[in-house]
Amino acid sequence: MLNTLNKKMSLFLMIVSIVYLIASFRLPAYTYVPVDADVVPISLGFILLTLSIALFFSKEEGTGQQKAIPKKEVMVILAVLGFVLLYIFLLEILGFIVATALFIFFCSWFLGYKKFITNVIVALAIPLFIYLLFSNFLKITLPEGMLPF
Amino acid sequence: MFEGIWTGFQVAFSAQGLLFVFIGAIVGTLIGMIPGLGPITAIAVMIPITYGMDPAMALLLMAGVYYGAAYGGAASSILLNAPGESMSVPTTFDGYPMAKQGKAGKALAVAAIASFVGGTISVILLTFFAPALAKVAVSFGPPEYFALMLMGLTAVASFSDDSTIKSLISATVGLMLATIGIDSQTGTMRYTFGNPNLLEGIDFLVIALGLFALAEVCSLILERKEKAANMNKIGSLRLTKEDYREMAGPMGRQSVLGFLIGVLPGAGGTIASFLAYISEKKLAKKPEEFGKGSVRGLAAPEAANNGSSSGAFVPLLGLGIPGSGTTAVMLGALIVLGIQPGPLLMSDHPDVFWGVIASMYIGNIILLILNLPLIPLFAKILRVPRPLLTSLVIIFCLIGVYAISFSTFDLYLLVAFGILGFLMALVKFPPAPLLLAFILGGMMEQSLRQALTISNGSFSIFVESPIALSLLAVALLSFIVPILKNRKKKKYDVDNQMEI
Repeated sequence: MLNTLNKKMSLFLMIVSIVYLIASFRLPAYTYVPVDADVVPISLGFILLTLSIALFFSKEEGTGQQKAIPKKEVMVILAVLGFVLLYIFLLEILGFIVATALFIFFCSWFLGYKKFITNVIVALAIPLFIYLLFSNFLKITLPEGMLPF
Repeated sequence: MFEGIWTGFQVAFSAQGLLFVFIGAIVGTLIGMIPGLGPITAIAVMIPITYGMDPAMALLLMAGVYYGAAYGGAASSILLNAPGESMSVPTTFDGYPMAKQGKAGKALAVAAIASFVGGTISVILLTFFAPALAKVAVSFGPPEYFALMLMGLTAVASFSDDSTIKSLISATVGLMLATIGIDSQTGTMRYTFGNPNLLEGIDFLVIALGLFALAEVCSLILERKEKAANMNKIGSLRLTKEDYREMAGPMGRQSVLGFLIGVLPGAGGTIASFLAYISEKKLAKKPEEFGKGSVRGLAAPEAANNGSSSGAFVPLLGLGIPGSGTTAVMLGALIVLGIQPGPLLMSDHPDVFWGVIASMYIGNIILLILNLPLIPLFAKILRVPRPLLTSLVIIFCLIGVYAISFSTFDLYLLVAFGILGFLMALVKFPPAPLLLAFILGGMMEQSLRQALTISNGSFSIFVESPIALSLLAVALLSFIVPILKNRKKKKYDVDNQMEI
């Protein structure tokens, strides 16, 4: 039954819309307004449900040129995702400059940039430049972290 | 009216003002040149920078960024055959062949001049159209506004390149995301899951940068091994008198046509530039030159897509309602600056209204002056190795969000939307309807509920107002037309390919 991509997506969207609908029916009621806060969400839930049913029966398969991404590449994307999550986690601990410098260096190196010296220079210069731009010119303080400025 | 323009120009022509347009145009061009990143990303990344700036200066900066990004897209189409977004696809048809013939400089010059003419003609039209529309729109009440936004949304969905159902689903999900947070009328907390970070809803910047920029990073990663372009020879930038004569007709016609298409919600740059290319080919005396480096074939889509970019400002400035993804981000940028576009903007804050328009004139002029001599330099950004470029783009997205919200929660959310955007691209769900719906969502819900409050809960209020009724009829039509269109689509596709 779920032999096409459209049908799989449609099923997924149906689940999303039903979860959303359940959540919207559970919104607390408020007596003194003609249109309560749950009216729009409930309508949207039903619209999405209708549309995903329509998608289920839809014949338009896009252009059908789904390019499958090689497994190795998926791993690369997931690794970069890991870098990004680590960066966000460390941003307020290490401070903007240190975290950003590390991210730029390791991410570029991981993706295949092997010019060591240039990489170090860029990884140091860009965060410093951004930090100075934000703190002096735009008056936005980025996390200082362990550095004294 | 002329007084207003004059005041706007006085601000824009100050040394500081010119400097900001200049910076904006450079940054915009650089971002626009990165394959995959277009005006939406460029504007979104610049929003935190304008935070706390003088609004007039910030507007000038944004105008520079807006036009710069559009031009940057044309440059990567010409030099790399890599259009940043669908509206610059026709630019590659004749631009890339010219570059291959060693005439990249000439192609870039043609694109710059055509963009300038398209932009300028349409800003002049905008100067007259937007106030006229604003005058009509002053009488609009909640039912008319709701109908208008609904029409805009369905039009975007049905004019999209992708499947109509998928576009509508995107739009619905966008509306759903907009319901997250405290309801403004009753104070009910909706879908916050007890998380205080969600009380005020999701910042549109998170969605814009996630869906558009971060999602595009994934494609940059996949294509990281592609050799950076080797464009040592740009060639002369000079155009002959004959070239100018060739360009004049297409530029004039397509600027106006592009503007008119841009005014319509949903139609926008892609349709304008494709239509321009096809119609100029039909009009040309030597249609066989098209696709082999014709000056006309390059000038027409460039003039048209810049024309439509300014045309899209008519509903934004006149009604306060964006008709496209790009103007939706622009609306977000204006709101951050404390400017609420709409029919009252012109009467209440004429200085701001005309400031926006004056900065568009200046943005165009500066871009022409700046780009012609700097083209060879700009082409160098295309030689930045992909791995380095990828890490820098990621960092710029993250800082863009962090500098607005100062919360790492928003950064995680940004990553989540990046993943969503990438998955959507894989299964061909267009992101623009989602973003537009998200931005319109709050306003739509508010006007719907206001309208129903006025009528005491009866939907007849939408039928009683002739304006609302006809807008809703158009919205319904834009549903039906694509269904009919899809039936004939296969045949149309074949015909179309033959034509191009």
